[in-house]
Amino acid sequence: MFNVNRVMTRGALAAAVALPVTLCAGFALAQENGQPVPGGLGLPNMVTPVGLGTQQLYNMVLMPIISFIALFVLGLLIYVAYRFNEHANPIPSKLTHNTPLEIIWTLIPVLILLFISVPSLRLLAEQVEVPEASVTIKVTGNQWYWSYKYPEDQGGGFGFDQMLKPESELQPGELRLLTVDNEAVVPINEVIAVHITSNDVIHAFGVPSFGVRMDAIPGRLNQTWFKIDREGVYYGQCYFICGKDHAYMPIVIRAVTREKYNEWLAQAKQKFAGADQRVRVASESR
Amino acid sequence: MASSTMAGAHDHPRGLRRFLFSTNHKDIGTLYIILGSIGGVIGFLLSLAMRLELAYPGVQIFPGLAELLHGADPSMALDAGKNLYNVFITVHGVLMIFFMAMPILIGGFGNWFVPIMIGAPDMAFPRLNNISFWLLVSSLVLAVISMFVEGAPGMKGFGGGWTFYPPLSSNTGSPGPAMDFVILALHLAGASSILGAINFITTIFNMRAPGMTLHKMPLFVWSILVTAFLLLLVLPVLAGCVTMLLTDRNFGTMFYDPAGGGDPLLFQHLLWFFGHPEVYIVILPGFGIISQIVSTFSRKPVFGYLGMAYAMVCIGVLGSIVWAHHMYTVGMSLNAQRYFTLATMVIAVPTGIKIFSWIATMWGGSLSFRAPMVWAIGFIFVFTMGGITGVVLANASADKQFHEGYYVVAHFHYTLSLGAVFALYAGFYYWFPKMSGYMYSETLAKANFWLLFIGVNVVFFPQHFLGLGGMPRRYIDYPDAYALWNLVSSFGMIFVTLSLVVWFYAIIEAFMKKRLAGANPWGAGATTLEWTLSSPPPFHQFEVLPRITGAGR
Amino acid sequence: MNATAPRSRNRPRLIAAALIVGATAMLALSFASVPLYRAFCAATGFGGTPKTDAAGPTARGERVLTVRFDANVARDLPWRFEPEVAKISLRTGETKTIYYKVANLSDHETSGQAAYNVTPGQAGAFFVKVACFCFEEKRLGPREAEEWPVVFYLDPALEREEGMRGVREITLSYSFFATKDAAPSKTSETAIARPKG
Repeated sequence: MFNVNRVMTRGALAAAVALPVTLCAGFALAQENGQPVPGGLGLPNMVTPVGLGTQQLYNMVLMPIISFIALFVLGLLIYVAYRFNEHANPIPSKLTHNTPLEIIWTLIPVLILLFISVPSLRLLAEQVEVPEASVTIKVTGNQWYWSYKYPEDQGGGFGFDQMLKPESELQPGELRLLTVDNEAVVPINEVIAVHITSNDVIHAFGVPSFGVRMDAIPGRLNQTWFKIDREGVYYGQCYFICGKDHAYMPIVIRAVTREKYNEWLAQAKQKFAGADQRVRVASESR
Repeated sequence: MASSTMAGAHDHPRGLRRFLFSTNHKDIGTLYIILGSIGGVIGFLLSLAMRLELAYPGVQIFPGLAELLHGADPSMALDAGKNLYNVFITVHGVLMIFFMAMPILIGGFGNWFVPIMIGAPDMAFPRLNNISFWLLVSSLVLAVISMFVEGAPGMKGFGGGWTFYPPLSSNTGSPGPAMDFVILALHLAGASSILGAINFITTIFNMRAPGMTLHKMPLFVWSILVTAFLLLLVLPVLAGCVTMLLTDRNFGTMFYDPAGGGDPLLFQHLLWFFGHPEVYIVILPGFGIISQIVSTFSRKPVFGYLGMAYAMVCIGVLGSIVWAHHMYTVGMSLNAQRYFTLATMVIAVPTGIKIFSWIATMWGGSLSFRAPMVWAIGFIFVFTMGGITGVVLANASADKQFHEGYYVVAHFHYTLSLGAVFALYAGFYYWFPKMSGYMYSETLAKANFWLLFIGVNVVFFPQHFLGLGGMPRRYIDYPDAYALWNLVSSFGMIFVTLSLVVWFYAIIEAFMKKRLAGANPWGAGATTLEWTLSSPPPFHQFEVLPRITGAGR
Repeated sequence: MNATAPRSRNRPRLIAAALIVGATAMLALSFASVPLYRAFCAATGFGGTPKTDAAGPTARGERVLTVRFDANVARDLPWRFEPEVAKISLRTGETKTIYYKVANLSDHETSGQAAYNVTPGQAGAFFVKVACFCFEEKRLGPREAEEWPVVFYLDPALEREEGMRGVREITLSYSFFATKDAAPSKTSETAIARPKG
């Protein structure tokens, strides 16, 4: 017969290792903004209201609740295995019904879910309802790069493609698979609306530090928004499988002050003048 | 009642004829289990290749694999390798769902034990049963062939993920015939399952032994009944959904093509109307198995039998009206997202009832930790883990951080790769003595458990961290920051591989040692009808129908 | 047992027949979902589908919102297509006409069909088109240029809708695709002839 105590010790050991790790996972470690942290355990440092809301919802509400439930179930399993194994309890009871208990374990989960749904739905509305934006950028997914357009009425009127920088061209400090040729620049502390669509298959625009993820679907315009609270370079990737180079179409957003943004706009207008035409020619030759 | 056993049913075919043309539910069940094991091993090998690739940043093994499998030109090997990775993730998903979990849990254990548990001599339509099986075999062949014909331009196989979203799966993304093969494979697998579902429902409604009322049926039979209804409800929708994709691809229709007024989102709605209940199709039979095992080894009847049965019905119904929680990022309106968030979270309630009822079944019991029970307790824990991350992902707001990332990968592998697979192993060891007549080795079965338990936790737990950090899924290569947890995750595959080796050895050992199991190796706790028969049961059982009295559950 | 035998012989067939009818009904429903989904979207504005109403608004509202215009052209359609103005402000219940400028950049006749939606999605139910070029397939002769009007208004009912309270700006988007005649050839020759991007 199998040694029950050995089951117990091993189970407890596994739990002792796994669960503190689970708990830590909720708390973001200090890290450089905007890029994934090596060996990171939790959410990235958030720099937008929606991102901070997500972080709060996960770290303060969801994470503690699910960790508690996991520990509670594990604790019950361990207790039951210890207290009611055939050596400790040779004669089984015939207990098969306990209506109050059944009502309790139906009602308490309902209450927990209601408790979760309040902050969750509040955050959802914040994500979906785009506030009045001072900058609207248009992002189009392509196999396998992103195109950006800055509208004319906000000082733009140009567009450019954002392509992965090949590994052979990386400068020291640039990130493999994340660094691109043309960064998209936006001002900080202003609402940026992002309009997203696609030119071929479905892609998805996502930047973890913003708490933003939105599908790029051909024939359909989607929108999301962010308001970045500090300067920095923020990296994102494509979040929907789009063919062989799905892993090779990163997103880079550089957030700067309004003054620097205006300077960049002026430069970019010259640099990317006629780029719209260039993109078209390039795509026609495909 | 026993009228459906045909004239001449008493003959006992042998050899090739016995299995090729079998109409015997136990033989067909065995065939399903063998087919599912083959599908599972192929699916596992695909995942092994993926984890090897992901162990270190950079692209290492897939270009070579592409040269080997597809004869790719070395100068094109990198692109062919990237494509092959996508093909692997796609086929891994399709195989594990349609050719591992469903055949073993429903086709295998369902065929074997539903008739016996309700006291029937066989399934209602034995020849239909045979057709179901061979349709599934043809389907598997088509699915495997699809890996070796052209998909994306100049590439082999379809690599768009098991959800087959157009336009990647339409002529825009994959003009080659690979996707057509996949669609036909889905048609055949769907037809097989629909026929199987009709057979199960008819058997359960019509062939119960005298006294076996619906409310006396073992919970495993209940689980198969609910599953069969789900199959019948949603598989035709999958069939229609992929048929429209087929005509879009080949006959110029525009159902999903925005160029002709179609909508790619319609495909997603239809696919997930099937796809979400499908995950319950995979897990519900597991619930049934766990209920039987927990009751047997606690030597107690299941706690809250009616609550357990109707919790499954409830999960089936709720599971059919929450599909768009897979589509939170497609730009749905606020109210739609609110509805799907709340409806999805509600599923946690009946699921919680099941978890707590299993624990309550053990409470006050006299637990014997034989291998099936150890697997079942393992199941309860890992399924809880998968369930609670499901509550996180049910929130449309939180999902915007996790969608199509590794948190999702970790979540559904905890429910399926750990949950469904643990239930499957629990059922395998529980019924192995009945099916083969021989006792497995307790030591090997427990070694199998601990290796897999440690293995899958090491593989999938760190993937939560990757997902929190933002790593997208279906990536052949990732930024260097994700290296640590990917390496740990790949390291876990060593244990998983070992556990499979131990499993094979355990089977071989049992057949070599020939320890006779006897009719009931589990003692007083095993109260269902299969334990009243010899091990293995006679070719035709219950020639005199058993009469069920009392509360026999 | 004997008394029930004839009945029970037919019963499995009856059950199976009922189940087959059920499965067939679900199959039919999956095909019926194409027009049903379209009708559902048109009726409720689900997924940002604008409404159509040739009659025009019946009431005047209070709120002023911004409407932004977006244009996309598929790669294989040689058109230039853009709105005349990037955005306008309008009061709910006020009918406006704006123009999209379109030009065929090629030397042969081309035709296109527009897909369209408004975002955010919940605005679909309140964005009403009185007239639009997007309802039919469009043809342009070689180097032909045109201006196409869109006539629309915002339904004042949006002021009562809780989900619209936070919405200040609505974007109307069109994507033009080249009209397809038949499914393209599926041999790998045509596929390989296309240079890889």
